Amino acid sequence: MKLKYLFPHRFKKIGWFVLIPTLLAGLSVMYLNFEPDFFNIKVFAILNDGFLSEGHNFQFITDNVFNEIIGILLIISSLMIAFSRQKEEDEFIAKIRLESLVWATYFNYAVLILTMIFVYGISFFNVMTFNLFTILFFFIIRFNWELLKLKKAQKNEE
Amino acid sequence: MKNSIKVERAKKNWTQADLAEKAKVSRQTINAMELGKYAPSIVLALRLAVLFETTVDEIFAIEESDWV
Repeated sequence: MKLKYLFPHRFKKIGWFVLIPTLLAGLSVMYLNFEPDFFNIKVFAILNDGFLSEGHNFQFITDNVFNEIIGILLIISSLMIAFSRQKEEDEFIAKIRLESLVWATYFNYAVLILTMIFVYGISFFNVMTFNLFTILFFFIIRFNWELLKLKKAQKNEE
Repeated sequence: MKNSIKVERAKKNWTQADLAEKAKVSRQTINAMELGKYAPSIVLALRLAVLFETTVDEIFAIEESDWV
């Protein structure tokens, strides 16, 4: 059985190359409000509810797109790491992949429920921001941990 | 499910890596099957039978626990 919808193996490396600097930039956006003026550009807003400024729907507005770019790069690079074929992607690895994805989904929402109960105010807004990406991060960690365990078990066997 | 992959492999004098390469799967898959932790697909079972020059039911046998 071959899983469909996976990227070629080489995409994994590219994903890491993009993810690490993007993650650092993302944290600096969140905690240092790092938003270079260079990224102030006109964008087309389908919806703009005026939470931070006067709202106009279906209009061009000026926005600092640095955080949007970082967000998109984080999603794409995490997807590339998570869903690139392993060097030897076979039916057993596919099973581990599926189980890790189920685990990551449960874990992600368990964490979200806990934070819904225990975190309030602006901190919860931060949690929501993290939660956009954590399901992929949890999957990457779980899947690679399971693969590592298998490799270790196999070394003991030899 | 019981299997005699390890025995068949010994008969051929193949390592897990040899068999993995011939069956076009990872070494982890061979190891997991030998330990009874993974039941292969029909295609992989048939591939093993061809490689070992035997039949699938010579390699794999059903157990009581497979009915639960």
